Amino acid sequence: MAEVHVIGQIMGASGFSESSLFCKWGIHTGAAWKLLSGVREGQTQVDTPQIGEMAYWSHPIDLHFATKGLQGWPRLHFQVWSQDSFGRCQLAGYGFCHVPSSPGTHQLACPTWRPLGSWQEQLARAFVGGGPQLLHGDTIYSGADRYRLHTAAGGTVHLEISLLLRHFDRYGVEC
Amino acid sequence: MTTASPSVFLLMVNGQVESAQFPEYDDLYCKYCFVYGQDWAPTAGLEEGISQITSKSQDVRQALVWNFPIDVTFKSTNPYGWPQIVLSVYGPDVFGNDVVRGYGAVHVPFSPGRHKRTIPMFVPESTSKLQKFTSWFMGRRPEYTDPKVVAQGEGREGAVFSIHGLTPPRPLASVRIKET
Repeated sequence: MAEVHVIGQIMGASGFSESSLFCKWGIHTGAAWKLLSGVREGQTQVDTPQIGEMAYWSHPIDLHFATKGLQGWPRLHFQVWSQDSFGRCQLAGYGFCHVPSSPGTHQLACPTWRPLGSWQEQLARAFVGGGPQLLHGDTIYSGADRYRLHTAAGGTVHLEISLLLRHFDRYGVEC
Repeated sequence: MTTASPSVFLLMVNGQVESAQFPEYDDLYCKYCFVYGQDWAPTAGLEEGISQITSKSQDVRQALVWNFPIDVTFKSTNPYGWPQIVLSVYGPDVFGNDVVRGYGAVHVPFSPGRHKRTIPMFVPESTSKLQKFTSWFMGRRPEYTDPKVVAQGEGREGAVFSIHGLTPPRPLASVRIKET
């Protein structure tokens, strides 16, 4: 079986109008992929920038996959939330990006979006907070049913991911 | 080299914690340590260290320079658990107690060659205002009993941090990978 190591960090996020952000991340793969070591999902700490406006998490990611096929190449997906001083959480954006397929170190910038909802919901969100959220998390990384959504842009999640591939040449895959 | 037994490879890391930028604090020292997975073991060099205390330079740069050497070699059979370097920066507060000014972690670079890394530093923050005041007054900030926690992904939910140092201690690391 070919093996893929995804090692890196979710460095942080920029461009969000809210401060005090945290991120829930996960990785989705196809059926041919098996996770050998590492955790498939996690949540970063809440970060309040004192200097500058980028929120830094430096959240480590270390995953070891074994795969029998290229279909379902891993995708990282994110939900960025903001937390206010009362401890309430509000959605700031959803985003996903594919894990790169060439070995080496990559800097990724993943744009995010959030669902808008009706004008009443937008008004309520401006005053009271809250706002619509996705019921099913897989809409974040799949294209099906997206046409029903009306969304607005959020900020960008920054990642540095390094990829190590093993045994792909045995199966005739050039990396 | 298509053998069935796991091959051992060595990872040699040479470098230094060069300097830091902390606009609000002065007289800082840093500690480094490495966090790695179960398949890794250090074979040479020191995996922990404490630097000297440095003060900001008098010129316009206001630089905090340590130039603190890092020299370690790891042995492993598996890239999982690739070593991370964890840095903790400490300094005196207004009452003279040593308090933590920031924690940060970064993976050792993956490819051979010269690399420069800038690491943002975080400080855990108390969630209640009363605790913030008490900890400022008593000089006992929220601190990690084991700084290696910073290098792990699990258990971070619910922690609130603020970054005080858009700080970069910059390890200039040369990495060489030797396969045996």
